[in-house]
Amino acid sequence: MWKLTLKNLKARKLRLAMTALAVVLGVGFVAGTFVLTDTMNASFDSLFSDVNEGLDVIVRSESEFESQLGGSRQPVSESLIETIRDVDGVEAAAGNIQGYAQFVTDDGEAVTTGGAPTLGGAWYDEPQGSLVIREGEAPVGPGEVLVDAATADKHGFELGDTVTVITQIGPREFEVSGIAGFGEADNLGGATLATFDLPTSQELFNKPGQVDSIDIAAEDGVTAEELRRRIQRVLPDGVEAADAQEVAAEISNAIKEALGFFNTALLAFAGISLFVGAFLIFNTFSITVAQRTREFALLRALGASGGQVTGAVFLEALVIGLVASAAGILAGFGIALVLQVMLEAFGIELPSQDLVFLPRTGIVAAVLGISVTLVSAIAPARRAAKISPMAAMREMAPKVSGFSTRRTIAGLLVTLAGTGILFGGLYGDIGEPAQLVGAGAFVTFLGVAILAPLFSGQLANLIGYPLQVLRMPGKLARRNAARNPKRTAATAAALMIGLALVGLVSILGSSIKSSTSRILDESLEADFTVATGGFAPSFISPQVAADIASLPEVELTAPVRLGQFRRDGNNTFVVGIDPVSLEAVTDIDVTDGSLASLGDGEVLVHGDVAEELGIEVGDSLGMEFASAGERDLEITGLFDNKSLVQADYLLAIPTYETYFPEKVDLQVFVKVEEGVALADAREAIDGVLEGYPALELQDQTETKESQAEQVNQLLGMVSAMLGLALVIALFGITNTLALSVFERTRELGLLRAVGMSRRQTRRMIRWEAVIISIIGAVLGLAIGLFFGWALVKSLESEGISELTIPYGQLVAYVGAAAVAGVLAAMPPARRASRLNVLEAISTE
Amino acid sequence: MSLQSTDSAAPGSVQDLLSRAAVVAVDLVKIYGEGEAAVRALDGVSLVVPKGTFTAIMGPSGSGKSTLLQCVAALDDLTSGKVFVGGVEISGLDEKERTRLRRDKVGFIFQAFNLVPTLNALENITLPMDLAKKSPDKKWMEYLISTVGLGDRLHHLPGELSGGQQQRVAAARALASRPEIVFADEPTGNLDSRRGHELLDFLRRTVDEFGQTIVMVTHDPFAASIADRVVFLADGRVVEEMLDPKVDQILDLIKNLES
Ligand SMILES: Nc1ncnc2c1ncn2[C@@H]1O[C@H](COP(=O)(O)OP(=O)(O)O)[C@@H](O)[C@H]1O
Ligand SMILES: [Mg+2]
Repeated sequence: MWKLTLKNLKARKLRLAMTALAVVLGVGFVAGTFVLTDTMNASFDSLFSDVNEGLDVIVRSESEFESQLGGSRQPVSESLIETIRDVDGVEAAAGNIQGYAQFVTDDGEAVTTGGAPTLGGAWYDEPQGSLVIREGEAPVGPGEVLVDAATADKHGFELGDTVTVITQIGPREFEVSGIAGFGEADNLGGATLATFDLPTSQELFNKPGQVDSIDIAAEDGVTAEELRRRIQRVLPDGVEAADAQEVAAEISNAIKEALGFFNTALLAFAGISLFVGAFLIFNTFSITVAQRTREFALLRALGASGGQVTGAVFLEALVIGLVASAAGILAGFGIALVLQVMLEAFGIELPSQDLVFLPRTGIVAAVLGISVTLVSAIAPARRAAKISPMAAMREMAPKVSGFSTRRTIAGLLVTLAGTGILFGGLYGDIGEPAQLVGAGAFVTFLGVAILAPLFSGQLANLIGYPLQVLRMPGKLARRNAARNPKRTAATAAALMIGLALVGLVSILGSSIKSSTSRILDESLEADFTVATGGFAPSFISPQVAADIASLPEVELTAPVRLGQFRRDGNNTFVVGIDPVSLEAVTDIDVTDGSLASLGDGEVLVHGDVAEELGIEVGDSLGMEFASAGERDLEITGLFDNKSLVQADYLLAIPTYETYFPEKVDLQVFVKVEEGVALADAREAIDGVLEGYPALELQDQTETKESQAEQVNQLLGMVSAMLGLALVIALFGITNTLALSVFERTRELGLLRAVGMSRRQTRRMIRWEAVIISIIGAVLGLAIGLFFGWALVKSLESEGISELTIPYGQLVAYVGAAAVAGVLAAMPPARRASRLNVLEAISTE
Repeated sequence: MSLQSTDSAAPGSVQDLLSRAAVVAVDLVKIYGEGEAAVRALDGVSLVVPKGTFTAIMGPSGSGKSTLLQCVAALDDLTSGKVFVGGVEISGLDEKERTRLRRDKVGFIFQAFNLVPTLNALENITLPMDLAKKSPDKKWMEYLISTVGLGDRLHHLPGELSGGQQQRVAAARALASRPEIVFADEPTGNLDSRRGHELLDFLRRTVDEFGQTIVMVTHDPFAASIADRVVFLADGRVVEEMLDPKVDQILDLIKNLES
């Protein structure tokens, strides 16, 4: 059997290469994702293992948990530095401060990163840490700054230059005293860093007499652990001495965790590609088994058992799976690079580093590749076993019907199960919703794919109807697309999956856009919003809200701050607001209690959450803050509209400041004084914002546009990722048609002999591809519509209240699919038109 | 003598001959392969097929019958020699022109697999005209359809027709665009004798009633006896010709040739 299998594999190089390529692409994407994320992790590890080089112990205030927003620890008193210096075994100790600091370029643009923070810090000479001055000197006094080498290089900052740095107290000019790097690296994971002397930092980051941490080096002969214990003894309550290397690992892990979202997203895309690839593999096996009916029948006639025939097909699948998985793993390296470039195109820059290949990558990718191939081969292999020895004598290609009762029942059941799981995930209270929704979608796709052959023939006839007008090649294309419903259905199904997801994404995007736009119309009474532009996390100095509020043209400003606390072990968002001014700019729909009277130590909770937790006004709510631990706050009101504040919990700013050391705003709403023209007000506010190039002043329309822009950007990214699944699906069309052309060689020869021109031949194949593509697109978009509807409905409580279907866009997708079909048909069409007529007629 | 250099169409001139003949083949040589493995499938065959005649080609297996047909019908290239179909030289045509020639001037009937499985009988018959975007001559179609005798099976797919019906549809397809000439390569080879006779009768009638020109390769002396003339090939050469052949004469001749 081995010999036969190998012989078969050799004899059908083309078909084999086609099947293998599907596996290669799917496995490649999975491997590429692993390689990319492992590389990312490794680069952060190596970066942050160096960050605390030269340090042994770090003293800081205790924190209950790490907030994803950072800045969760309270500062400690500066006086502790002296106390620590007196501890036996301390070589050197110095105070460090961290905060938001953003450089401004010479053209007045704020320096942004691809997602990394823009940091400010304090310089110290001793202990010698990882930050090393490469040029110039340490910053001294209120007018000097030390710039990281990457930023200096990128924006042409040189020694003695005057640069503007924005911090929470506003923009200020500094002279560049020096340029520094972290060992070999020019910056830390893409973050920008402005370093000042300690007093300046304390002023800029609003921490008078305090430091965020104290960095300590041990004397020779004293271990870090020993020193840590000694220091801990002299510290007051709430302050801890931590191992410097452990702190480095903590930072690294926090960043990796934040990037975990990417890993998951990328793996999801990889899974989709593999799933689409599975259709391709299944289809190729089905077709090749059908084409080899005679061969198998002959084997059976010669005495091979059904089991042996199945075994031969399986063995083939195994060999293909093995070889293609190996190739796919290699391809993964290339795909990792492509993904990296794609992420960079969307502004997510990753530190460069050699690609990392862990054994896990190879094992998972190979197991997936081989098992997908084997599973795809099950049905075709069983079919091969059922071929009777008599089939050897019969003419090839018996009539294929897509209909069977079993198929109908199975398809309906699977589809129903899929939608059931989907809805369970959307509305139910079981398990992980995202995973349930994903699984539901997966099963639904399978169900529809099972059902598709029942109607793909009719659908092909319907879609191909206009081709009748084009007479002969079009007519034949239509018949060809309809002649084997199973094949057409399986080919279209691959495209269906991709388009369903693309359709879903665009429906979701449109709905989010129209819903936010409506929310802004209905509930935003502010005339302007001050926001930070782009993806990168930047903050607004509280000075901005104060300065704008003091303008005569402005009635009031309503700043919004964001923080995280923990409840039941989950990080949860909380928003700090000024009750009176918020009331003036938006209606949060208070159902119980009042917003204006929200006082210190009190919290306003969203109605749905209150209901879920079974709490009401007057109860106390336990909230765990990173800096302060568990605190009980009194619930003084419930609200129903969180579309503007975007959180379920509201604190007044004084309360917020008690628990969150960072004193920066995320967003500021501005209400203009009655009777003042918006244009005049805008001019006045722009005057205040002059020094803050990172900030944007948006009127209502612009706010809508900028929100839409953010949604579009995200959609663009998701669609680009889904692009690979679409490419695989299109590749499937090429594959199917190539195999069909091969199968129809004789028929093509006949057509050419009786006068079909090469052009007509190409057109016939192209139209067939177009019909298959449109079937896939139409089915996909129908499913996408359904998914989109279900998802949007389930997000109603999240403020996505409007279902908007971008019909124009969906129609454009169908058109794009048709065009893509034409492209996919090019190789097989060319092949068909180049067939040697005589040889074609005389093939068996 | 150059065949193209004469422009007069005076009786007896080359031009006159060419225009009265459906096919003129001059000194055809076809060599397959190269070097030691080379096969001279046609070794200097010259043949004139007058319009409105039925020619049968016979000869032992491997004598070059199919090759002759394919070369004359623009399905294959010649090594040397010239072929004129309806007065037009086809030897130098490019792929596009050959396709057009096959579509408009030539009809084909193969031994088997003559029909496109996704088109019904009627659609198969009109296929060459559909490809040419021409509408068929109504009267001619009616005649063909009635002669094919498919009745209500006209709208059935080939897979639902018997072998004899399929070959008759193929014949009708070959004749539908009223080509200059119809080539048939053992069209009755896969049929029992009754179906074979029906097909031969059909072909004969188109020659008698409509002046169709047919060249048919056959092994069957009875089939050949239907023709106006039989040309015998052996080893890629014309070895004998017989006008108004009878079955016995053909059998005798074959016997003589073999000995
Ligand atoms: N494509 C080909 N390649 C090589 N030799 C060929 C090819 N086609 C035919 N021949 C050879 O040419 C000769 C004539 O073949 P053919 O015309 O098919 O004979 P017939 O139809 O009279 O049986 C034979 O010897 C055959 O083997
Ligand atoms: Mg032959």
